[in-house]
Amino acid sequence: MEDLDLGEFSGGCQCGAVRFHAKAIRENPHVCYCRMCQKATGNLFAALVGVGHENLTWTRGKPSEFRSSEHVGRGFCRDCGTPLYYRYETGQHISFSIGAFDEPQRIPLLYQMGLEGKHPSLFHLNDVEEVGTTESAMEDEAVAIKRSNNQHPDHDTVDWQPRIGRGQ
Amino acid sequence: MSQSVRLTGGCQCGAVRYALLKQPERPSICHCRMCQKSSGNLFATWAGVEPEFFVITRGAWSAFASSDEAERTFCSNCGTPLGWQNAARDWFCITIGSLDHPELVRINRFYGEEGRIDWTGEVASTHGTVSGAGGDWPLDRIKATNHQHPDHDTAEWTPHPASMTEPSTK
Repeated sequence: MEDLDLGEFSGGCQCGAVRFHAKAIRENPHVCYCRMCQKATGNLFAALVGVGHENLTWTRGKPSEFRSSEHVGRGFCRDCGTPLYYRYETGQHISFSIGAFDEPQRIPLLYQMGLEGKHPSLFHLNDVEEVGTTESAMEDEAVAIKRSNNQHPDHDTVDWQPRIGRGQ
Repeated sequence: MSQSVRLTGGCQCGAVRYALLKQPERPSICHCRMCQKSSGNLFATWAGVEPEFFVITRGAWSAFASSDEAERTFCSNCGTPLGWQNAARDWFCITIGSLDHPELVRINRFYGEEGRIDWTGEVASTHGTVSGAGGDWPLDRIKATNHQHPDHDTAEWTPHPASMTEPSTK
């Protein structure tokens, strides 16, 4: 599979304990609605794009991995839970969560798969009521969230101390 | 009162299971950058209940305080994002995809417009296939060794263990 001519990308988990860099991404940005991708992400789909092993560097920390089946590993941050990748063990690339990239808007989707699991709400996504921006819909909370934001910024950092959460 | 409602769900590996004792409210998508990053996705999906209508039925989740205002909960064995709870802990949201039957919760609003990736609404119109239809995806082998918890409560269940691993290189 070819790489897209979209340049280099960095990304990582919410808390910043795990960071990666991709010299290029594969030409396969997609969403998968299959029930395993739904369950693994707690979401309506996984949004994924491949990064060839030759183009991948783990720049901070290491992910944990859950074998969702014998030959498939799903990586995540053990400290904050962000789903980071899907990989087939003999694959030539690792498929990273598009939302975990620092600039997900640079990665256009090319196809969708696993249609047997497509959630009914996704057929009318553009008709769902918009309740505005975080700042307008949650004015007070948005200020407090910004003031105490523990999310890693959307760029690489030289030094970073993840704010580890507490258990239940 | 909706006494008979019970919606169950949990993480992929089955170490953490929960139940909602009422139909959850405000079923939504949130496009904000914190929901994107914490879910590794284009948006997060949420629906909430008051704590008296929420019960953990197996295991315990881990939590990351994404700010002083909220914690995001997940399974530390398999990583599935499971919930969001405010600092006062008087409102519990679960991720719709972690429900055993996400199709029963129809989304009726979205938040975090400032983070909305402009092509997100086009997802439904991109080229699509069902799992295995392309022939290059090992669906049979995945089915034969599936470690995902089934979409219903189980009396007994041993989660497949996670590993700390260096995933790069073949």
